[in-house]
Amino acid sequence: MTYLRRSTPLHAARSSAAIAWCAALVLAAFTTSNPLVVATLAIVVLIAGAAASVGRRVTRSLLLSLPMAVAIVVINALVAREGLTVVARLGNGGPFGQLDITAEALAFGGEFALVLIVVMEVAVLASAAIDPDEVLRSMRRVSFRSALTATVATRMVPLLALDSRRIGDAQRCRPKPGGRLAIVRAVTANALDRSLDVAATLEVRGYGGAQRPRRLARALSRHDIAFFCSAALLAALSLAWPASFSYYPTIEAGSAVHAIVLAGALALAALLPFTQRRGIER
Amino acid sequence: MRRTRTIRASVAVCVAALALALAGCGLGAGTAPGHVSLLVTRGFGAQTLISNPAPKIDGADTVIRMLERNAKVTTAFGGGFVQSISKISGGGGSAWFYYVNGVQAGRGASSTRLHDGDHVWWDFHDWSQADSIPAVVGSFPEPFVDGYGGKRLPLRIECTQPSRKTCSTVEGVFSQMKILASLGCLLCSAANQSLRVVVGPLDTLTSDPAAEQLTGPPARSGVYARFTDRGRRLELLNQDGHVVTTAGAGAGLIAATRFHGQPPVWYVTGTDPAGVSAAVQAFNTQTLDGHFAVAVVADAAIPLPDAER
Repeated sequence: MTYLRRSTPLHAARSSAAIAWCAALVLAAFTTSNPLVVATLAIVVLIAGAAASVGRRVTRSLLLSLPMAVAIVVINALVAREGLTVVARLGNGGPFGQLDITAEALAFGGEFALVLIVVMEVAVLASAAIDPDEVLRSMRRVSFRSALTATVATRMVPLLALDSRRIGDAQRCRPKPGGRLAIVRAVTANALDRSLDVAATLEVRGYGGAQRPRRLARALSRHDIAFFCSAALLAALSLAWPASFSYYPTIEAGSAVHAIVLAGALALAALLPFTQRRGIER
Repeated sequence: MRRTRTIRASVAVCVAALALALAGCGLGAGTAPGHVSLLVTRGFGAQTLISNPAPKIDGADTVIRMLERNAKVTTAFGGGFVQSISKISGGGGSAWFYYVNGVQAGRGASSTRLHDGDHVWWDFHDWSQADSIPAVVGSFPEPFVDGYGGKRLPLRIECTQPSRKTCSTVEGVFSQMKILASLGCLLCSAANQSLRVVVGPLDTLTSDPAAEQLTGPPARSGVYARFTDRGRRLELLNQDGHVVTTAGAGAGLIAATRFHGQPPVWYVTGTDPAGVSAAVQAFNTQTLDGHFAVAVVADAAIPLPDAER
């Protein structure tokens, strides 16, 4: 949990608006099969990350997603049999049959890898720019106990990490330090003890008999409206006007103009809310 | 020391490259095989959907890739399984099966490479009675011309009554096609890596375990006909496995099957010598073309499974 409230439009928007905006970006990445549009979305999320002052973290997500993307391209090229344009023959692969690398399988793997990159970028952006407490608070009316459990659990993670560091430090002071397994065992035992304490505390404070809380009325801010509208526009564009692109059996691209216009429209729709700088202070 | 290492590394790279080349690896689509033909049918060859004597091929295509170039195909499982051809989808006990040179391939279509002269036959049929039909006669004169799996096999005609005219007639059919065949008695050859054409009444084939399959259901032989009453009767079956016609004296059968993974064996047989003669008369390309097996009853060739219900 590394959320830090910053002075940006995305941080200023309520969590439901920010989640809807992130979900719309993911939806757009999944509904289109045009690589130009997906690549544009990947760049858009990087720009959005920079505009939300978490650009470095979003860029760092590429360190994890790029190797996975390469793996997807390679595996798809080896496994898919649907393409017709053979670019390399790897002979008989035993149980895998004839290993022919086709241009179509490489292109499809590349597009799917781009989608993965977008999803990971959006996930990192969401974790860095959406207040987790607010998300959990908004879940109280849906399922109070689940929201409470999630809140307590997320608070326990850094506590347990701190425990493990302390125990590790103490262990290193001994003449014969134990292994990591000992630390894991100690931290697990601590976690169970703590969970009992937390459960007892919650019961004493009357959380067990808590009712569904009332809705907290809060007026929509200009940023809420901007991100909700952006999300709706992204969803509408990607669902109602998808750029056609088929990979198998041969690559058939739809209208290039359509794809360029759609990519531009999606980029505009996604980034416009960030131009609103008023009222972004904490 | 460094020079020795460099030489070793170079040799290793050369050996690896040579191994890859020998394994059929390479850049690009490779060399296209010649004289390949494509047939797409349904109902055991009853209805022809596509008959293309010169289909489009690009490089060292697999069977499925050639099909995709020449027909509207949908696939499943990453392109390894044909779901539909020409909008005819599998399901409900029917599916697409393929035969190369009249032999059902033991591997998926995405694993089977095409070779010169291959006759690829896709058929959509009911598999409730026989989930595997190991060999069919409808690609004649294949597999005798180009073999199967890219390998040509010698042909051996085995006659149970060598002195009869039927044996020489069958030999004549092959010699007209310039296919070399050796004549011999039933199972006289020690080598079992040859294509066999067995000619003779079924009651003289009792020592041949592959022929014994013809007395069983289609699930055993892959043939929608069976001999009963010690080979004196021939029952013609429909695709549901029901007996449609029972023929007695003078009935013949031309069918192909396999026994325990051995090369295909063809039978030109009948209920008696007259039945064998009738089958021999029908042993030609025109009669066999596009059929899984053919029965001859009262001088009429009946494709199997029998379409009558």
